[in-house]
Amino acid sequence: MSKLDVNIIIGGPQGGGIDTSAALLSRAFAFSGFEVLSTREFHSNIKGRHSYVHLRAMDGKIYGLRYPPNILVALDPDTIFEHFEDVASGTKIIYDSAFQSSELSQARMIMRDTAARIKTLLESNNLSKNIAGMLEYMKSRGGILIPIPFEQIVREAVDDGVPTRYFNTLGGAITLSIIGIDIDSTKDAIKHIFGNKEKVITPNLEVIDRAYSYAEENKMAGKAIEKNAKKNRMLLTGNDGAAIGKLMGGLRFQTYYPITPASDESTILEEHEAIRWINEENETLGKGGVAVVQTEDEISAIAMASGAALTGARSATATSGPGFSLMAEAISFAGMDEIPLVVTFYQRGGPSTGLPTRNGQADLLFALNTGHGEFPRIVLSSGDVPECIYDSVKALNYAQKYQLPVIHLIDKNLANTTEVVDTIDVKAVKIYNRENVSEKGTYFRYTLDTENGISPMGRFGKQIFWLTGDEHDELGHVTEDPVMRDRQMEKRFRKLETASNEIPIEDKATLIGDSSNDVTLVTWGSQKGPCIEASAELMKKGIRCKILYLKMFNPFPSEFVSKILGESKLNIMIESNMLGQAAQVIRMNTGIDIERRILKYNGRHVTVDEIVEAVENIVKNGIKKVVLTNGA
Amino acid sequence: MAHNFRTDLAIDWCPGCGDFGILTAITQALSEMNYGPNDAVVISGIGCSGKTPHYINLAGAHTLHGRSIPYATGVKLANPKLKVLVTGGDGDLLSIGAGHFVAEGRRNTGLTIILFDNEVYGLTKGQAAPTMPLGMQTKSLTRPNIYNKVNPVALAIAAGYSFVARGFSFDTKQLKEIIKRALMNDGSSLIDVLQPCPTYNNINTMEFYRKKVYKLEDEKGWDPVITEATKDPMEKYRIAGERALEWDEKIPTGVFIENRVIPSFTKRLNENIPNYLTNPPSEQQVSDKDGYTIVDPVETFSDKTV
Repeated sequence: MSKLDVNIIIGGPQGGGIDTSAALLSRAFAFSGFEVLSTREFHSNIKGRHSYVHLRAMDGKIYGLRYPPNILVALDPDTIFEHFEDVASGTKIIYDSAFQSSELSQARMIMRDTAARIKTLLESNNLSKNIAGMLEYMKSRGGILIPIPFEQIVREAVDDGVPTRYFNTLGGAITLSIIGIDIDSTKDAIKHIFGNKEKVITPNLEVIDRAYSYAEENKMAGKAIEKNAKKNRMLLTGNDGAAIGKLMGGLRFQTYYPITPASDESTILEEHEAIRWINEENETLGKGGVAVVQTEDEISAIAMASGAALTGARSATATSGPGFSLMAEAISFAGMDEIPLVVTFYQRGGPSTGLPTRNGQADLLFALNTGHGEFPRIVLSSGDVPECIYDSVKALNYAQKYQLPVIHLIDKNLANTTEVVDTIDVKAVKIYNRENVSEKGTYFRYTLDTENGISPMGRFGKQIFWLTGDEHDELGHVTEDPVMRDRQMEKRFRKLETASNEIPIEDKATLIGDSSNDVTLVTWGSQKGPCIEASAELMKKGIRCKILYLKMFNPFPSEFVSKILGESKLNIMIESNMLGQAAQVIRMNTGIDIERRILKYNGRHVTVDEIVEAVENIVKNGIKKVVLTNGA
Repeated sequence: MAHNFRTDLAIDWCPGCGDFGILTAITQALSEMNYGPNDAVVISGIGCSGKTPHYINLAGAHTLHGRSIPYATGVKLANPKLKVLVTGGDGDLLSIGAGHFVAEGRRNTGLTIILFDNEVYGLTKGQAAPTMPLGMQTKSLTRPNIYNKVNPVALAIAAGYSFVARGFSFDTKQLKEIIKRALMNDGSSLIDVLQPCPTYNNINTMEFYRKKVYKLEDEKGWDPVITEATKDPMEKYRIAGERALEWDEKIPTGVFIENRVIPSFTKRLNENIPNYLTNPPSEQQVSDKDGYTIVDPVETFSDKTV
């Protein structure tokens, strides 16, 4: 099989079919047997503003996205303007030849600050302030221009009064033919996207035929890449992964209030309310489905999920920063009343509304400290799509076992990352089922007679017991007795010690790479993959790195982290926030201050190459802090 | 043996408080409905009304200020077989919890909501609550109330509650009957209960209400029930609305509207989720005998296979 490793940025107007183009690319690569990793960048807007997908396809495991891309596909003039920095020597720019005359002044959907920067760039290079000028600039950076007569090709293929409706398919198909992906995979991809909509599929297939023949005629078509078709793989986003993991983990009640980028998870669950079971016997056992309820606000979402948990149903909610802020009081209640509850917390750019559709990891300290008073909680984080699946099962287990709020952090970049997942192992994680409460005698919900702090939890509908936000006695009634207060506080916190002792270290933090390597890259969330690949790249440059990848922030693996950081010659923290929040958590728990930091807070995803450059800068030039800036 | 619905806790409401009558009406209604110890639950928010679940010998949750309705909705939706009562104050349900109060009307989940309406925030020393009229000055207010009042009955009708009624805490017999009828309603019910706060509301006293209240059911031909056979449901809403707004001279109590046509939220969910009502979330097994998941992720999400 000939080697494939291609990085593509494909951009167009939000709501203009850019998702279809990206889906066409990712599916065609997947059908040809390649691995695919992509992420989506978009504005908080329904139609018109610039949206793009950064995608990589490779014959082998993909850890991160590379920058700059090999191919830039522009479905509108804005894409050419917006990505002026993304072109390097050899980057192919595929665009509609009709864009040539578009003026920057007419590109009203470009943010004014961005347009001003573009204007300055073109002026300082004595270039005209239009696409022709920008293409000239890209050429000067080594870009290879590939103008395509979009309208002409569509008209030659189909008789349709609105040729623009096929531009997304055409852009994708031309790109795939240039790369050398066979036409059958591309056609299979379009069929997969449109399902049984024959009327839509037929003309799109004709456009694909013409796109491939056009590329052939104009000697653009790439050398055919051998297929290596694999079966039953899944193309999943982080949102999908969390939804799948939650269902596998026994979730049967989910609430949500619409918010980006969290609500996709809930609508995915809604679409799959009717669960398919592993075998017939189970069908009788489980028979039912997951109830997904859209609530009037996030306060209601967390309160409903908490109420449902009291009946024994496994329940959860999903939200992002602004919604999580509203949930604070109920998180405290769940801590006080020992309610098994999972909140999947999708981090986006803050503060306030911030960058609502962009990446961020600035809610770690908030997740660790949400809610008034002191109570135990578990905070864990995922770094790739498979982790979203299995961590969601584990999060539900922790909630059931330790009877407390579990906050599962997923960053926006991961939520919107699409990845090929080969298999889902249904036996990877066992489901923890709580023991039934004895039917005899008075039931003491918060019994102090427990060494590990866990008091057996009954269920509304099976036992009588009480909950109150006030401090309570063993039955759950209000108490202000100072001795009972101390005992209940201590009992609740014993659960955290128990969790800390029982949860294996690999679920808290892992060391990736040779432990004798000098440099330790410390990271969490979606930088995991990019750090792994960056470390391989750095090795080629003589910088030997290992990665300390953090997964659980409470209970925190202090001993493990202390040991690794203490033995390492140079520690570098990499995270997507301004204050180095994970570094602060490390310092708080271990006393070790990681001074060298690579931070990104422009809301865009972290690429492999910017990590490599930043680490080199720190190691070779002794710089303490590098702020990453890639991304349009 | 019939279940004893009272706990043995000492009740710390003020002497003469209307809450006692409401508690009595609730426990009597539960007894007369012959409920067992695990058939019903009581959920409350914060305030004097919030203490109610502790005095009732049923599973209960004394939750956050204003949030009793969503907690109760979660319980009901996860186990629709349970009868779920909500006890809340006027501040709890109509000020801090007003959004949930209105949303619950749209849902019609199947909650029995009992609104302790005494026009003041008792536990925080008598501030004006949302049912206190404009210009009224009870003894602990530093100046006359500068808010206008919200009408809980009219609001509940507008929000879509399928059963809307009003009771009086010193007429436990009528109140008990209203609660029983509400418990049989498949959708959500709102019962506005007029009650004095002997400590902070020196205006709306027991005597004040005794002089003004009258019973709708005493009127010949009063029929608030809407069924599939009802010819003109809008006429029933028009009459209910008119009576809901009555206040200054006479105050109506009894059932204003009982609409049996609006499907409950649990029935609506059952349309989408297989076997939801017979095997609800609380009853489902989630793992096989070896403790592994019974969900087939690839089959369930087959649309994502490539």
